[in-house]
Amino acid sequence: MSGVFYLAWQYLRWHRWKASILVAAVTLVLYLPLGLQLVVEQTARDMNARADATPLLLGGRGSPLELVLNALYFSDQQPPVFDYGVVDELRNSALVDPIPLYSRYHSQQIPIVGTTLDYFAFRNLQIAQGRQLAMLGEAVLGISAAQSLGVGVGDYVVSSPESVFDIAGVYPLRMPVVGVLAASYSPDDGAIFVDLKTAWIIEGIGHGHQELTSPAAAGAVLKSEGDRIVANASLVQYNEITADNIDSFHFHGKNADLPLTAILPVPRSDKARVLIQGRYQAHDSLQLLQPRAVIKQLLDTVFAVQRYVLVAMGLVAVATTAVVLLVFLLSWRARRPEQDTLHRLGGSKAAILSLMLAEVVMVLATAAVLAALLVALTELFGGPLLKAVLL
Amino acid sequence: MIALRDLEFRYEQSSFALQLPQMQLESKEHVALIGPSGCGKTTLLNLLAGILLPHAGSVEVAGESVAALSDSQRRDFRIRKLGLVFQNFELLDYLSVRDNILLPLRIGSGLSVSPALQQRTEELAQRLGIADKLDRHPAQLSQGERQRVAVSRALLLQPTVILADEPTGNLDPANKFVVLDLLLDYAREEGATLLTVTHDHDLLDRFDRVLEFNALNAWSPG
Repeated sequence: MSGVFYLAWQYLRWHRWKASILVAAVTLVLYLPLGLQLVVEQTARDMNARADATPLLLGGRGSPLELVLNALYFSDQQPPVFDYGVVDELRNSALVDPIPLYSRYHSQQIPIVGTTLDYFAFRNLQIAQGRQLAMLGEAVLGISAAQSLGVGVGDYVVSSPESVFDIAGVYPLRMPVVGVLAASYSPDDGAIFVDLKTAWIIEGIGHGHQELTSPAAAGAVLKSEGDRIVANASLVQYNEITADNIDSFHFHGKNADLPLTAILPVPRSDKARVLIQGRYQAHDSLQLLQPRAVIKQLLDTVFAVQRYVLVAMGLVAVATTAVVLLVFLLSWRARRPEQDTLHRLGGSKAAILSLMLAEVVMVLATAAVLAALLVALTELFGGPLLKAVLL
Repeated sequence: MIALRDLEFRYEQSSFALQLPQMQLESKEHVALIGPSGCGKTTLLNLLAGILLPHAGSVEVAGESVAALSDSQRRDFRIRKLGLVFQNFELLDYLSVRDNILLPLRIGSGLSVSPALQQRTEELAQRLGIADKLDRHPAQLSQGERQRVAVSRALLLQPTVILADEPTGNLDPANKFVVLDLLLDYAREEGATLLTVTHDHDLLDRFDRVLEFNALNAWSPG
């Protein structure tokens, strides 16, 4: 039998292109449905886990999906903003502990999330290197974000301008990395966390500049009327918050009017959760969601699409199997003279049939091994693929 | 020794029929078989090799009554006692020269490629002038070299009877003498019986005897 397998191997080796195409076709037929199933299941598991860990989510009225994707998975969706005053309103209700989020900006595609220290406790995020946020202008990075940017504690990250045409808009802020989080295997691994006020400074709502009354800024002053001083663009604006200039940073306007993209209201009890939901049910400008329900809707759509894709793949698999069979049958017919030679040299019909079958077995076995390898790779790396498409 | 008596054979879907009252080759005899195309020379070799079975009559080759053997015994007989050489060489293009020579061992049950047979392959290749071609494939060889590979394959297991079906039919004049001499030299040295089908009358004087197929009349060359 080993002789038959040796001959079959030599045949496949000699016709390596034909064999490779057959192996590739069978591998895809075996792998694609399994791979798709795995990716969808893994994605659903991860997304549900995140949604389950977030009982409620409050945001501006608009697309619930955009709000959930932005607040839970830090996607690029831009839900409508609302006032920070809602945080005080929720706190005063004594029903929930609100955790504000402002997630609009990036540093080289990595989302910058403005929040409070309560967020880290809520998500059970631990510092692996360095320390927690302590001062305005500092950043703590998720492990994947740190790896992807190639930075660690002591390095800096710079916020990216949102639009190169908006010269009066977002000003790049250079922020020291003071901590890197331990892996949590969640979207938090891929984010940069800053204090809420730092996020507002990135937006340009808060800023720091030269003291207008200092002699160095005299040339920039256009006019001075009592407390009101008007300066020109030569006034030095700070693009990094340091111990020396931190006192010059300030916000214009009231705190309650500053923007948020979402609030994670952590209910103090089941009753509190129901009460707070009732309170915001018919709110004009705000919506209070249960992320699990929104994600379920999204995943239902994904599963429906998956079913259609699996049916299509099934049909393709049948067609591919038929073509592969045809290739083998035609090949056997074309190799009739070879079979006659083998018979004349003393090969039995069983041995000749074994030789042909050994080739099929080798192609199928190689394809099965490759498909298993791909499935294993999908198990390891497949999850983020669909999430990247969905988010 | 080869002996036929009252042999009858016909193909299922053809009007061709072969009837031979008698034919005999002595042990160690070197015989050429000639005759017009389509008269049944190849069919006769196939009957002697046990590839085809007669409808009537007896076929005895190398002491074995071929028709009386079972299917597996006939295959074993072909591998161990016969050396078969074909006009079209019948080499497998996907095997190296070495593997083509060893092919009967790989396809035959109960046989294996022993170091001794590997050694014999090298020696045969050396003797037949293809030692440097053992790792090449048939497509990389000339016609003459291919037939030498086929001859090596036929001689690998030291057969007592060699049946060659127009072994020089596809060769140029220089090569046809070389290949035939290789077969004759082996047969003389090993004491093997050689029956060669040929159309080439230039080669006939190298044989002990020539059989004209139609009547199976033997005459002495030259």
